[in-house]
Amino acid sequence: MKNMKRSGFLLGALSGITVVANADHVFARALAQTPLPGLPGGENRCLVLINLQGGNDGLNCVVPHGDAQYYQIRPTIGIARGDVLTINERIGFNPNMKSFKSLYDKGLVAIVQSVGYPNPDHSHFRSTEIWQTAAPDKYEHTGWLGRYLDEAGLPKDNLFNGVAIAQVLPEVMVANKTDVPAIAQVNGYGLLSDRNSSARSTFAELIGDNRLPFNSPYLSHVAEIEDHAQKGSQELPKLIAGYKPAGTYPATPLGRSLSLAAQIIGSNVGTRVLYVQHGSFDTHVGQKPTQDRLLGEFSDAVKAFYDDLSAHGNENRVLTMTFSEFGRRIAENASRGTDHGEASPLFLIGGGVKGGIYGTYPDLSDTNMGNLKFATDFRSVYATVLERWLGRPSEAILQGRFDTVAAIA
Amino acid sequence: MPTTLTPHTDIAGMYRPAGQLDIATALAPYKGPWNAKLAAHLLRRAGFGASTDDARRLSEMGLHDAVSSLVDFPSTSNLPAPGDLYDPRSTLMQYLPGAIGGRAAADDMQRRQIQQQVRRGEVQSVVALQRWWLNRMLGTPAPLQEKMALYFHGHFTSAAIQKGVSPQMVYDQNQLFRDNALGNLRELTWQVSIDPAMMIYLDNARSDPKHPNENYARELMELFTLGVDHYTENDVRESARAWTGWIYRPLLGQLQFIPARHDNGSKMFLGRTGNWGGRDIVDIIFEQPACASFFANSLLNFFVYNSPEPQLVQAVAKMISKYDYDLKPVMSTLLRSNVFYSDRAYRALVKSPVEFVIGTYKAFGLTQVDERAQNALRQMGQVLFYPPNVAGWPGGANWLTSQTVIARENFLASMVNSPMMTQVGWMSDVPTQATQAAKSLVNTILFGDASPQATAQLAEYLNGANTSALGMLSAENYPERIRGAAYLTMAMPAYQLN
Repeated sequence: MKNMKRSGFLLGALSGITVVANADHVFARALAQTPLPGLPGGENRCLVLINLQGGNDGLNCVVPHGDAQYYQIRPTIGIARGDVLTINERIGFNPNMKSFKSLYDKGLVAIVQSVGYPNPDHSHFRSTEIWQTAAPDKYEHTGWLGRYLDEAGLPKDNLFNGVAIAQVLPEVMVANKTDVPAIAQVNGYGLLSDRNSSARSTFAELIGDNRLPFNSPYLSHVAEIEDHAQKGSQELPKLIAGYKPAGTYPATPLGRSLSLAAQIIGSNVGTRVLYVQHGSFDTHVGQKPTQDRLLGEFSDAVKAFYDDLSAHGNENRVLTMTFSEFGRRIAENASRGTDHGEASPLFLIGGGVKGGIYGTYPDLSDTNMGNLKFATDFRSVYATVLERWLGRPSEAILQGRFDTVAAIA
Repeated sequence: MPTTLTPHTDIAGMYRPAGQLDIATALAPYKGPWNAKLAAHLLRRAGFGASTDDARRLSEMGLHDAVSSLVDFPSTSNLPAPGDLYDPRSTLMQYLPGAIGGRAAADDMQRRQIQQQVRRGEVQSVVALQRWWLNRMLGTPAPLQEKMALYFHGHFTSAAIQKGVSPQMVYDQNQLFRDNALGNLRELTWQVSIDPAMMIYLDNARSDPKHPNENYARELMELFTLGVDHYTENDVRESARAWTGWIYRPLLGQLQFIPARHDNGSKMFLGRTGNWGGRDIVDIIFEQPACASFFANSLLNFFVYNSPEPQLVQAVAKMISKYDYDLKPVMSTLLRSNVFYSDRAYRALVKSPVEFVIGTYKAFGLTQVDERAQNALRQMGQVLFYPPNVAGWPGGANWLTSQTVIARENFLASMVNSPMMTQVGWMSDVPTQATQAAKSLVNTILFGDASPQATAQLAEYLNGANTSALGMLSAENYPERIRGAAYLTMAMPAYQLN
């Protein structure tokens, strides 16, 4: 295992050097593979966060097929025991997650069960915000990864320390001192006017106009984003052009997002945290076809992602973590769907993970008004990722002390 | 009383304007100088931007009459209606047994084809509706009516096509917002509650009395009227019981209230006990002081500036209560107020993509949008009738990411280079001398909101600085340079701000 990590790191470093040689740009410093302060092993590690938007129903994702109550309370949408991809006598994966199960069987997946937080909120917006800001008790405007980016001592002139593969910057990447680009796709990520050198240089001057005859609270934000848009879009396509994905990704939005994530990671542009999203899992009505399709897409895209990472020697550099704003009500509703619930499982994926089952099995008989009680605070999982994976102390970022989970060595 | 939550545009107050609010005079009528620049500010907020002619016209009216022209808007019933909308029943009826001309029930394969056919028809209709609405925003003689419709679209969010919301329902909801543009908020909230698109989108159309669906009951309070912290989980459950009884009949294309499906038991909601139905729930919500504060905060964030001070929110809430949720007097007061014309409110909002796009067509004096508009809006992250989730578009700083800023600039580049620019004669109004041309561009596009240094840099560009070709602005390179300079003027910071 140790040797695998070394070789993965070396391969990554080599492809990074190739990019430096080709690109001739201002970000060379970020590509110098400087180990993070305090990073275990000094490896160039990344975290990829997958947001399963809308509230993924944990019980039909990691199915408690050994629990008779599950079938009583879900007479029409329950997943038949014979269809479940069995993990043990108690739980198994949704039948659409065959690819994901193959990763689990290789020991690359940790399932952390019954994750949640105290006094759960049932609103999509607020609960998403709670997971992204890691602040259940107050309104915090920075995300937990935004705070990580602010304090990790990453190269300030690198525009790609964090990248959100999304049209709109997610709250989890909102920082006080770091601007995270939100890039939906590289194709189209560039200014048409930059093709004209005169327009390009005048644009760069005008966007920085700081003697305006009015004041606006958004001025510095506008200037900064315009500047980053111009510089970043000039650089990123060049930086990642040398990367060729191995294998074929599914032609789904998540497949495309993870393919871009692998390309950015494999090009060694200094990115530490990436965000992608998938959904919507908000299955109030007719849950099964929707969730089955989404879980299938998730499973196939993640498998393709790790195959690609692995072919480039990056699988041990990359930890992927899923989250969803909440699980769903245990009982199905009359529309063959489920309403907003509370605790649910999340996944940690990658070569650095100690595969297996962590946390407490969901208890369908001891509920919080029909919702699963949480046993592991999500901030414990965040603390694990920050301390054991990204090598940063978690207390300041999470604004509290949380036990870590043994899922990462 | 708990503090009113600012919407998620700006949770920590980062984007509240600098300087002090003078709460004593904030809502009093503004008596300062009135000019085209402030008229343009009014039109950006209460409409979708202004050409120089629009701004001049309103500045000549005087402030009071200019606002009157927006709030006492003319009838718009003679504006063109959208074309025929696709009705999914036209496809579905063919396959129903017993339907006239109908064939036998379909097998799986056929069912999938039917679904595709329905989806295609619906998407085409919704795309046509988007175009229709954008043209209406651009051409209407009542811009505030459309601005309120856009505000309500982001506030009382429903999305097209999902869950069976048909194009007709999308249009009907849009028309509901337009008809109630400056009407009563309580009445509109009730009408939205029983609007088919909303009932389907937030699941009240399928709520079963034995297992009431809580989706609408929750969002009604959290996102539409009160905000979190002003109700309990139990209030959500009790409200959900009150909303039972509605069912959507797809073949009739109608909602029906079935008394037998309504939970007739006693419900305890926000401290009041009774056999409540949906209308009672709305009325009880609007009795809560938090409701007036919630709308005050929301309107200030949309029309004045982000993260308004609690004192300002309370002052506007008091006014909303005084007028019993009638919007017309509230909006009239706000649009004539000191705070609205203060330096702190000027350019204090980020343009939404719709404001950015329609404002650009308006600035050039174009009267119709073309296919660029919808493509650009998609890339900028605002697709009409498809808000990202039930909370609507997050807005504010969230509109501006590297990706969306690139989409904004590339839309402008495409616009200035389009043949439409020569057709409208906009370019021939720009002087031929570089310094004068730069000043003219900054005045017409930005109403002067650029520094002298930036204007000088623009003149240098017009004169051919940094180009290897012949320098001076000449008849040969004039059109190309003016197009480039118009683009660069719009690239200046003020153009991103409303």
